[in-house]
This record gives sequence, C-alpha cells and structure tokens, in this order.
Amino acid sequence: MSKKRILLIALTILSILSIIFVYNDYFLYKNTILKVTDVKNDYKENNEYYTQHITGVIKNGEYKGKTFKVNNTAAKSKVYDDTIYKNNDIFVELSKDGKKIIAINDIKRDKYIVILLVLFIDLIFFITGKRGLKTLISLLVNIIISTISIFVVSKFQNFNILVLYILVSILFISLSLFITNGKSRKTLAAIISSIVSLFTSFSLVFILIKFFGDHLSIWTMEYIEIIYDYQNYFYVSILLCGLGAIMDISITITSALSELIEKNPKIKTKDLKKSGREISKDIIGTMTNVMLFTCFSSVIPMMLLALKNNVLLSDAISLYGELELVIVLSSCISIVLAIPISLYISLLILHRNKRKVK
Amino acid sequence: MIKILSLILFILLALVGRERGIKTFFTFYLSLLLIIFYIIFMSFGLNAIILAIITCILASVISLFMLNGYNVKTKASFISIMVVLVFIFLLVFFIGKSSSIQGFSNDSIESIGAYSFEINYDMCDVFIGMYLVCSIGTLIDTSISISSAVNEVYENNKKITQKELFKSGMNIGHDILSTTINTLYFALVCGFIGFFLWHRGGTLGYLLNYKVFAQEVIKVLIAFIGSILIIPITAFISSHFIINDSY
Repeated sequence: MSKKRILLIALTILSILSIIFVYNDYFLYKNTILKVTDVKNDYKENNEYYTQHITGVIKNGEYKGKTFKVNNTAAKSKVYDDTIYKNNDIFVELSKDGKKIIAINDIKRDKYIVILLVLFIDLIFFITGKRGLKTLISLLVNIIISTISIFVVSKFQNFNILVLYILVSILFISLSLFITNGKSRKTLAAIISSIVSLFTSFSLVFILIKFFGDHLSIWTMEYIEIIYDYQNYFYVSILLCGLGAIMDISITITSALSELIEKNPKIKTKDLKKSGREISKDIIGTMTNVMLFTCFSSVIPMMLLALKNNVLLSDAISLYGELELVIVLSSCISIVLAIPISLYISLLILHRNKRKVK
Repeated sequence: MIKILSLILFILLALVGRERGIKTFFTFYLSLLLIIFYIIFMSFGLNAIILAIITCILASVISLFMLNGYNVKTKASFISIMVVLVFIFLLVFFIGKSSSIQGFSNDSIESIGAYSFEINYDMCDVFIGMYLVCSIGTLIDTSISISSAVNEVYENNKKITQKELFKSGMNIGHDILSTTINTLYFALVCGFIGFFLWHRGGTLGYLLNYKVFAQEVIKVLIAFIGSILIIPITAFISSHFIINDSY
C-alpha cells in the first residue's frame, strides 16, 4: 500500500513538472514566440471581421524579453481565422531588422495537448492502478505501429495501401489482444475470431461497394489529393474504423464463454450458445451507438457550414455525411457479424479442447 | 449504398439479436436522426453548446431507457453520464476557448473555399459541442456495462455490502477499459492517415501546434478521459442505487 502511495505521489510530481515544462518550453522552438499580455478588440458594427490589437513579450531567440505590438484580424464566426486571447502564446515572424512583427503564424497549442495527456495518464493510474499500465502499453504499441505504417506509405507511394493495411490490421489485432490478455487459449480464440470477423465483414462491404457504390463521391474525403490510390484509401478507413470494436466484441464473448466452461466443464454446447447469445444482445445496442456518435460527429462542422450557406439538407448529407455513414454502417455490420463468428470459433477452440482432456 | 448497407445491417441484427436486434436497429436510426436534427437546429442559429447538451441527454435517454428499459441500472447510468458530461464540458470549454480550437484550416481550404465564412455563428461553440457528442456514445456504453454487471453481482448475492459492490464495479471497469480505449483509438484515428501523409515533411513541433492535429488529439483524449472517469462514478452511483432500492 505504501509502495503504491509512493508511486502515485511520484506520478503527481512528474505530472506537475511536465506541465510546468510545457508552459516554459520556448527554447525548444526555432520560431519566434510571443506571449500575449494584452488584447484589445476593435469591433466594427455590421462587420464580420474585426481587428485585435495585441501586445506581447518575445519569449525566445535574439529578441527575447522585448515587447512588441501587432494587429490580428479575427472573425466573429470563427470559421477559419484564429482568435487570440490574453496569455496565449503565438508563433510570429519578425521583420529582418527585428523592429516589428510581420506575420502571425499559429497559436502554440502543445500545452493543451500535454495537459490532457497528463490528465489521461494520471486518471488511468489513479483509477485502475497497475492494470492501467497494460492499457497504456497496448495503446502505445498501436500508436507505434500506426506511425510506422504511415511512414511506409509515405516512402513507397506506389505500394497498394489496402494490402499493407490488411497486413497491419492482423498485427494490430494480435498484438493488442496479446498484450492485454496474456498468452492463453482464450487469447488465441479471440485473435482468430477477430481476424475472421474482420475479413468476412470487410469482403462483404468491399463487394457491395464495388457493385453498388459507383455514385459515392470518394473524392470529397479530406486529404484525398495526396493519396495515389484514393479508392483504396476509403477502403482502408472502413477496414480500420471497426477494428477496435471487433476486438472488443470477440474478447468479451470468448472471456465470458471460457469463464462458463471453467466454472462448469461439463456444460453443454447448447447452453453455451444460449449464454453467448444473451451476452451479445446486451452489447450490440450500445456498441453500434458508440460507432455512430464517435465517427459521425466529425461531419458536424462541415455540414453546418454547408447548411449555413443555404445548401439543401439532402445535398449537405449526400456531400458530407454519406461517406462517413457508409463507414459507420460497415463497422456496425462487422460488429454484428463478429458475434456469431466469435461464438462459433471460441466454442471450437475452447470447448473441443475440454472434451479431449476428458 | 446507404439503403443496401442498412438493409444488410437490419437483416443481420434481426438474425443475431432477434427482437432486441430490431430494437437496436431503430435506436441506431433514431440516434442518427437526432444528430441530423442537432445540426439543423444549429443552422437555425440556436446556441451550439446548449443544443449539444440536449442532444447528449436525448441520446442517453434513447439508448438507456428505450433500449434497456426504465430500471435501477439505467437510472444509475443516466445520472453517472450526466455527472461525467458536466466534467468533460468544463474541461473542453476552457481548453477549447483558450486554444482557438475552432473551425477549419488550410488543409480543407479546397472543400470550404466555395462557402462564405460569414455565417454569423460561433464555430468554437460548435467544436466544443462536437466533442461532447463524440464522447457520449462511449460514456453510455461503458456506463451501462458497469451498472448491469453490478446489478448482476447483487442478484447473485443479495447480502453484499455497498462497498463490495463498488469494488466489483471497479473490477469490471478495469476489464473493459482497455478494449474501450482500443475501440475509440481505431474509430477516431482511422481517418488520420491522410493528415500525416499531407504533412509528412513537418517537424514534431510543427505538428503539435497545428490546429487540425490539436483538434483531433484533443477529441481522442477527451473521449479517453470520459471513458475512464465514468468507471468509478458509475460504480459508485449504481452500487448506491441498487443497495438503497432494495429496502
């Protein structure tokens, strides 16, 4: 208990230090940073745009400590332009003689990310204790694999990204389930059922889109211009979106079944199937909702901007909502398909084994 | 395309979940309709944050009470979700406002270029609301899993104390946390490959402060934080409710 307390205190101190650090990490940046000490807004009536008179102190580089004044144009609707507040740090560009600021480049946002990150890590340890470490490691592994895969894609532009991500998703499934559940027959069953469910549902959706998806405006996806085979980029999004949910379903079902078998090794297959069904009924409803709210919420700003510009609702939905909805529906299909598949596979792997032992 | 996929989803849900599956299908579409109405009402000029909160409350009502019935479990979940929602709201509000998290950036200039930016509506509020709506799905999911499990434990052993119930709720929470985080990670990061390809020359310092990156990372972290916070709160409230309800 005392050891745990020491660890938690160390964690708290570390968190505070890292937040203090990120509030003062100006020396890490080559670009000049201005700390805003005063903002005066100069609103004009009936005008969307207004001027902000900003005063601030330079925090790094040659002119550190000097006070500068600069004007920024902000918009009331905040659709595109940044609004600057007191105590913001902003990246600025100085004129060559260092007498005035010629441009405001961006707002320094790293501290907000670090605050949330620290809060997230602290909460994991404070609430789940040592077991939270596994969650963090599996998350970190996923982030590393994602980074490497993106690196590969950007290096080899003519590589088929769909093939690459099919391989990567197998890696994702095996590693995350292995890390969080350890080496066991249960984990094996969960890995196999996740892979089978992923490929069954993905092939189904893939064929459907090939046959009926001609009208889908895939070119409206963001960042599509940079990707060599954009058709495949869309398929990759479908493949990855439901991946975590499939793993969730299959591990829930295999754990529950292995628990039942352990408690009563003589349990009949029929009873196992029935309990599996009961468990799955409880999870599909909320899981489909998770996919809907998590993924579909990203279309809100774009659809709103379109509606505000008097675009018809049906047009706004088909322009900005349809692709996301296809992705959400595909992940829901894979969630539902994952249930019978993991039920069957875990029966095959877990239950047959028990019979042999007898 | 949507119609075909919906039809397949309906058939699969009906086969796998029978009555409950069909109910799930309609809840799904009701929730989708809710999001679309949320956007429409925003376009009328009503306050984005208030609308987002109403949407979150309605979403919880739909998936808790309509899908799972009105009982101790769902009541406890509902209150826990509201508590966490308040906390997340305060967090997003302060971070969103001071970091100018609003709006679009250079990356999407091609798709937004055709539109007028003078929409007379605060886009920062829209983003704050969007973060709340994004997290509500996972809050509902985690919360109902814990409160049903706590209830199950109580049904099997009616002599259990509130403290023990809370503990088993926390235990269940630990088990689902890692899969929840996994689910959220993939659901939120899948669209992010393009961003990194676009900015592949950028340094870490550039990316960390870039608006779109900050928007996405804050979204992911807020959803993560919500799904952790809901665990002790639901464990506490549902154990309290279940014990006190039996008197």
